[in-house]
Amino acid sequence: MDRRQFLRDVFLWSAGISLAIPRFNILPEALAAEKPQALLGLATGEDYAALVARVLTPLGGMASFVRPGDKVVVKPNIGWDRSPEQAANTHPLVVRALVVQALEAGAAKVKVFDRTCNEQRRCYANSGIESAIRELDDDRAVIEHIDPRKFVPVNISRGKSLSEWEIYKDVLECDCYINVPVAKHHGLSGLTLGLKNSMGVIGGNRGSLHHNLGQNLADLATVIRPKLTVVDATRILLRSGPQGGNVKDVKRLDTLIASPDPVAADAYATTLFALQPDTIDSTVAAYNLGLGEMDLAKIQVVSA
Amino acid sequence: MALKRTPIPASLWRRIGQAVSFAFFLFLFIKTDYSGSDELTWAVNLLFRIDPFLALSAMLAVKALVALMLPAVITVVLTLVFGRFFCGWICPLGSLIDLSRHILTPVRNNLEPGKRQAKYFLLIFLLAASLFGLPLAGYLDPFSMLVRGLTFSLQPALDHAATSFFTLTYRHGPEWLNLLTEPVYALLKEYVLPFASKVYAMSVFSLVLLLAILGLVWLESRFFCRKICPLGALLALFSRFSLLRLHGGSTACGKCRHCHTVCRMAAIDDQRAIATAECILCLDCLAQCPQGRIHYGWRKGGAAEQPTDLSRRAVLASLSAGVLAPLVLPTRPLARHADPLLIRPPGALAEDEFLGRCVRCGECMKVCIGNALHSTWLEAGIEGIFSPRLVSRIGYCEYNCTLCGQVCPTGAISELTREEKHAAVIGRAYFDKNRCLPYSDGIPCIVCEEHCPTPDKAIKFRQAEVLNSRGEKISLLQPYVIAELCIGCGICENRCPLAGAAAVLVTAEGESRHAGRSQGTGY
Repeated sequence: MDRRQFLRDVFLWSAGISLAIPRFNILPEALAAEKPQALLGLATGEDYAALVARVLTPLGGMASFVRPGDKVVVKPNIGWDRSPEQAANTHPLVVRALVVQALEAGAAKVKVFDRTCNEQRRCYANSGIESAIRELDDDRAVIEHIDPRKFVPVNISRGKSLSEWEIYKDVLECDCYINVPVAKHHGLSGLTLGLKNSMGVIGGNRGSLHHNLGQNLADLATVIRPKLTVVDATRILLRSGPQGGNVKDVKRLDTLIASPDPVAADAYATTLFALQPDTIDSTVAAYNLGLGEMDLAKIQVVSA
Repeated sequence: MALKRTPIPASLWRRIGQAVSFAFFLFLFIKTDYSGSDELTWAVNLLFRIDPFLALSAMLAVKALVALMLPAVITVVLTLVFGRFFCGWICPLGSLIDLSRHILTPVRNNLEPGKRQAKYFLLIFLLAASLFGLPLAGYLDPFSMLVRGLTFSLQPALDHAATSFFTLTYRHGPEWLNLLTEPVYALLKEYVLPFASKVYAMSVFSLVLLLAILGLVWLESRFFCRKICPLGALLALFSRFSLLRLHGGSTACGKCRHCHTVCRMAAIDDQRAIATAECILCLDCLAQCPQGRIHYGWRKGGAAEQPTDLSRRAVLASLSAGVLAPLVLPTRPLARHADPLLIRPPGALAEDEFLGRCVRCGECMKVCIGNALHSTWLEAGIEGIFSPRLVSRIGYCEYNCTLCGQVCPTGAISELTREEKHAAVIGRAYFDKNRCLPYSDGIPCIVCEEHCPTPDKAIKFRQAEVLNSRGEKISLLQPYVIAELCIGCGICENRCPLAGAAAVLVTAEGESRHAGRSQGTGY
């Protein structure tokens, strides 16, 4: 082998290194964005489409979150192969109404997806969410299955427990990420609310996050920043969460909570279960990281 | 202006028939998948249900009529009328074998019938063995071998190759390239590739078997069909009596023996007599006869026929082999203790009847939405190879899914309603407390409890005070199993976040198909 051949080989073989997946960094300025306003909309009613519009009114309507031409992600909980009345997934009518609101505010594209726990197609079909979006028959509103190629490693510079995790590219690149959890019981974390719902946009071995779940969720919340959180409490699962399966464990509340502050939304939703916000580890950890307000006295609740 | 019409040669018709059948087979294969509703509309099991060899074997094994397999009668009736057209026109493996002849040219011109009786002896052995408790029919059935090869290795391999390629273009290709490649990938995902990437136990082995069958073409054209295929042998026995058949040349042909030379089955001897049992109606001879002497028509008495040359001695020998071989089975330890890790799909019949009916078609494993069902190797004995078992660490049984029972062509896995499925116990979970984090290391976890699908969870937890690895006293939740609630679906084992073996494991203990029967001889 001569020198020329050697160099040629080195270049050839090292080409693989330059093909490694690029790491995603979120700029510190974006992370340090001003603390969201601890303003919270609260509404009750049986017409869920109207309810979505009402709960957003105190926050200035969808127009204060979605600008014309925006790429929007609406992230419901579609985690389980359960029907809407079993209250394990976000209610399809709530999801659809949010998509419609975003489209009316001028969104260029609204994507709906979740990384499910049960088999994806069954969850999408039986949650009723897939057909609810398809029935809109609007090219701008799409419900897609997770594409594993789209998970990119993200540095979590402010994390106390996590330093890096894979996050779904569409969430990182969209203009407006709307988190739509269903409020329900969860064996380990007590309740699953907005912060826990964001586990549906991350890759990797999610089970391993359960070792220090509260802090891990808060760490993820430093890089997964919803502009709007809408907590679906139209019906809540009181026991045997997060999957449920027995309608006797479900309580109908016909309530929605909306806030630009993800911590405040979770904190207030906790009270629907007759619990205090400080009983939920992820809420406390996120509050300590300065991601939002958990003191009920400091959250401005506006009933609409 | 009158166009001169050339008639389509008969062998071209046959090729068109093969292509249409094969395309329909592939369509059914792709459709053997969840389609957004709990009920399947199409499945490859149609093909298996018209297979008289598998039908006969399953019925002999369980000594009962298997209603699901009655469509096989159609094949028999058609064969009695038209002859062994099934092998030449319909069989997808036969078509692939014909296709591989264009790649692998046979080393010698195989005009001699050779040991073509072997397939009859194999057929007799397999059927007798089925009757006496050693069901092996699915090992050599052409459809079973083909579907296993496609399901376990070819389709997943295609998926992995395509996904790797399109991941490369997606991550590193320029925008204009993705405008071209992404729609192609989307189309493939929609119509060709499996929905999610899958892995299968014994994938390489199944592929090697399939390729070996195709590769035998190198020795002789249609080697498998001539000498091995037990389905072909059964159809041959019927086609001897077929009403319609090919009638060959005669002494009037002089020195011409073209038909003898072109026959891929070596069914035409050098006296131009056609062995109807061996003739698969490929119609090459008919199309190529220079004098046009060969024709397809009603059976005539007195025409020259070749004997099937089955000696009584050989028939009796293969029959006795089939009768005697099963006698050795009760001498295995397996007769007393089933493998505790052998977990059968929900709805599977009791083990003997299950294996008797199971034709190893791989359909349940193809359709399994959780990629949970895999080929058994020797865990169920020599007669259990390729039968389905649940391997929870690879995939779990989806709580509301009933697809495996829907595709099973013989009812080895019975079709369950959703309620029946929820009540079907296929095994039970237990905790390995030496590895389970809340027990072994004082680390909170309970992912298993989160995923446990029964409405009244079979995995519950209790608050416990433990010392963690730093010697600090902490309070956490420790999971445990309530045996009466556990159905053995394996999602806990599947989702256990530990690397390597899970800390919660499923065994076949308590499976409802053997309810009331104690395992082993015991005390």
